[in-house]
Amino acid sequence: MHVVQLVVNGLLLGGVFALSALGFNIIFGVMRVVNLAHGDIVVLAALLCAYEFGTLGFNPLIVLPAAIAGGFVAGAAIYAFLLRRLPGEIASGEASSLTLTFGLSFFLVGSGLAIFGGTFRSVPFLTGALYVGAISVPEAKLLAFVTALILALLLGAFLRFTPVGCAIRATSQHVEGALACGVDIDRVKTLSFGLGTAVAAAAGTLLSMIYDLSPQMGVEFTVNAFAVVVIGGLGNYAGCFLGAMILGLADELTSYYIGANLAEAAPYVLFILVSLLRPSGLLGRRVT
Amino acid sequence: MRKLAVAAASLALILLVVAPLRLNGYFVNLIYITMVYVGLAYGWNIISGYAGYFSFGQITFFGIGAYATGFLINGLHWYWMVAALAGGIVALVLAGPLGYVMLRLRGPFFAMGMFGMAQTVRVLITATPATGAGAGLFLPPGSDVTSVYYWTLAVTLGAIALTLWIDGSAFGLRLQALREDEQVAGTLAVNVTREKIVAFMLSALIAGLIGGGFIYFLNYIEPDAAFSSRLDLQSVVMTVLGGVGTVWGPLVGGVVMTQIAEALWARYPQGYLIVFGGLLVALLILLPRGIVPAVRARFAAADE
Amino acid sequence: MSESLLVVDNVRVAFGGVDALGGVSLDVRAGEIFCLIGPNGAGKTTLFNVISGIIRPDAGDVRFLGQSIVGWPAHRIALAGIARTYQIVRPFSALSVLDNVAVGALAHVRSKREARVRAHEIVDFVGLGPLARRRAASLTLTQRKRLEVARALALEPKLLLLDEVMAGLTPTEMDGMAEFITGLGTRGIGAICGIEHVMRLVMRISQRIVVLDAGKTIAEGNPKAIQSDPRVIEAYLGAPVSEAP
Repeated sequence: MHVVQLVVNGLLLGGVFALSALGFNIIFGVMRVVNLAHGDIVVLAALLCAYEFGTLGFNPLIVLPAAIAGGFVAGAAIYAFLLRRLPGEIASGEASSLTLTFGLSFFLVGSGLAIFGGTFRSVPFLTGALYVGAISVPEAKLLAFVTALILALLLGAFLRFTPVGCAIRATSQHVEGALACGVDIDRVKTLSFGLGTAVAAAAGTLLSMIYDLSPQMGVEFTVNAFAVVVIGGLGNYAGCFLGAMILGLADELTSYYIGANLAEAAPYVLFILVSLLRPSGLLGRRVT
Repeated sequence: MRKLAVAAASLALILLVVAPLRLNGYFVNLIYITMVYVGLAYGWNIISGYAGYFSFGQITFFGIGAYATGFLINGLHWYWMVAALAGGIVALVLAGPLGYVMLRLRGPFFAMGMFGMAQTVRVLITATPATGAGAGLFLPPGSDVTSVYYWTLAVTLGAIALTLWIDGSAFGLRLQALREDEQVAGTLAVNVTREKIVAFMLSALIAGLIGGGFIYFLNYIEPDAAFSSRLDLQSVVMTVLGGVGTVWGPLVGGVVMTQIAEALWARYPQGYLIVFGGLLVALLILLPRGIVPAVRARFAAADE
Repeated sequence: MSESLLVVDNVRVAFGGVDALGGVSLDVRAGEIFCLIGPNGAGKTTLFNVISGIIRPDAGDVRFLGQSIVGWPAHRIALAGIARTYQIVRPFSALSVLDNVAVGALAHVRSKREARVRAHEIVDFVGLGPLARRRAASLTLTQRKRLEVARALALEPKLLLLDEVMAGLTPTEMDGMAEFITGLGTRGIGAICGIEHVMRLVMRISQRIVVLDAGKTIAEGNPKAIQSDPRVIEAYLGAPVSEAP
């Protein structure tokens, strides 16, 4: 395979990762909560799209706004009814939220299996590809890439230029300070979580056109998202995008030159390496 | 109260020892599986409960123990118990350098890092023909279930005894201190690096020994079963239910949940995931410290 | 002049381009109560972090009892005889008051039981005796402050670093704490080095004072000299110190 095609594949794959990771980044960056159920939300959204396409004929692009809204509500609910209720007694608050989302993940996988069954589904929409010379650029992946880019820019702008965005950033940097400035921390956290899952749902909607998915695949997306965020740097959206590109390229190149089964371990290995050697990621702030 | 507990424990012990000779295969298997889960939970409890490093990948050492044992039986024709013991020791030894590296990570990074490690090892083994790759590693047929039962009983009792010792020892106090605040513990003369690595290694030893018995029980092992994230989930849920960082938590949680696990997993895998996942979420909110501390608190209040 | 227990030699610590400590030198001598004062952000706690081994300085040396301790892990420094408290108290919340103190005692005894025996004596000494079995999380701020000190005492340190141990106490409690600190000499502690903001007490109980501002020492001497030092007054003591020591 031509090297350029490999690189293009890698970058497009990176777009997919970025799409999935952006939502994760919001939650992790703002609340230091690792949402281990993140990938499951992505996958469930995708499966829901496949279902709607199959039964109602709605293509994912039409469903997208509803998915975003639904994802937002789901996330806000998860935070408000579950995470917020954690007493923080076991070891540390971090361990509790981590373990809670760990349990939530399995719960969602089980629910997904019960509702959708274990078959792999996708939405046969936008299945064509553009051709730049001999290089093929699949439409759906290109859409995902472009959407990820736009989303990253939008999110960055939202956080920099809107009052709500500033409140979110303030909370992620210094909770007591934000509180002292009159920021409703609870509201910010609920909003952030909802925003994170909304983006995850949007990602799932678009990804339904790219991958055949089944409920058990959620874990893969969560791990990829975590790896991307760690590589790129916590809370940094440009870093998130960059990290996603790196992971995408690493995945494609490993897959091609070493073998697809070993490539499966790529995100884990990269994650561990980066966590150990450069914990703040490539572009992130220094983590205390 | 104490005497009652000791008497009950002795009775239970006698029943456990006699069981294989009296009960039919189904029940013996059920008790065996319960002991596997309880044992794994005890291993998890040491690094995650006492030291506070929540790990979502302790299963790595279960798998390492199983595969190491398999190689020793197939390759060197060792008697299986000796091989299983060696398998546990392999896990213990590997946990040293692995722990040295991984324990530099904190919180979610450590948890996911361990998860990643389990998956990475799984992928590596699946890709290596010498280990039987995806098809798995097979042992010569004809396993003596009774001996595995006693092996696992011994390992699990050992794990409980070890936990009892840790709970009352200076080592245990140091672990709890570093769990509460690692930096402060350091300035109070606790060698945090050494202590947490030791805890990690002990945790790995238990998992490895149980894994060694497991491959003999099944007569084979394959990567997905050896490094199953579901088993990891189970250790977590059982210990959280019973009481993280307590001596009896894993036992209580393990015994209670095994029955549910076994009933669900075979017939309704989705049901299993929904119940275990949902239960973990509910426990963390409603009964965060688990059954054992809650019961203790009740008794303490009653005493006053 | 008595010997120096601790020598800080031209220590520099930079955090991303800003010098938290820009070449600080001082020494703490046996038998004295030594105070480090200065405006917020002067680098006092950073210096404590360097001494106790939490931060490694970018330049300079720290010598304790003649030995360089730079680069030593925190636990080794603690075993050598330096104990510290934290400005924002950090008790081991889930552990009992007794066990909190017992951790430090393990530096000198082997078993938990023996450590608890020693811890009991210290817990009584700081006045937390009746609360020994209570979880540290249930203590009030004042009680937690005493627990901080008790934990450090369990190490049987030769040098005790007290970081703003007065903060958050009422004036009466502060006087009590000041008495307590001066009385610590009887426990075989070689020297005490404190960071403080409560000037009247600093002037009252310390033998020597060093003033830190923006990461540099700007004055050193006994309380009388410091009070009348124009540089110090200019940098820090806005209002005149009314009480004579």
